[in-house]
Amino acid sequence: MNYTVINRDVHVGDIRLTAVASASLFLIGDADVINLSSAFDTPPESLIIGPFVPLVPARGGAS
Amino acid sequence: MKRTSIVQALHAETLIISSVLQIGDSERISARTRALAVQRQYELFFGPEGEQTFLIFTKPIPRWSSPPPVASQQTLHESPVISVRSIRVLGVSSSAVVHIGSTSIAEGEARIKHIRQLAGPMPSAADI
Repeated sequence: MNYTVINRDVHVGDIRLTAVASASLFLIGDADVINLSSAFDTPPESLIIGPFVPLVPARGGAS
Repeated sequence: MKRTSIVQALHAETLIISSVLQIGDSERISARTRALAVQRQYELFFGPEGEQTFLIFTKPIPRWSSPPPVASQQTLHESPVISVRSIRVLGVSSSAVVHIGSTSIAEGEARIKHIRQLAGPMPSAADI
């Protein structure tokens, strides 16, 4: 596959960002490879309604 | 060859938790974050919690092992400049990177587990 990229003028005005978080990247420039991944876990069982107990290691079944 | 990045004004309010503000080129960016976020309805602390390993912190995340096969790539920089007038960032957090300049390889991995603990319903008179 032949792949040609022509980078012409890039002039950006004002950028307003609220937040950049959790191993994310805000890049003004060039990069060869970008590889970002994220795992976010909020399963139903992570909403615990009931007695306040410490987060105990569930033996063998910690999720 | 990489282009030159020109930013006339940068205003960053807060940079916390291993985040980076990089001005200038870099070769490799490797950002990692692991967060166990626990919200309780009341201020209760049980000491050393969260030391056990949750699966989300160890389970491998599928990744592209290599860039897609491109037989020949040609990049022509007709303009050698990327220019931005102004940047305003309120917050940068948890191993995030604000990078003005070029890089070669950027990789990042975030693993977050969010647990909420709420009080159960008050026992009614019928239960007692």
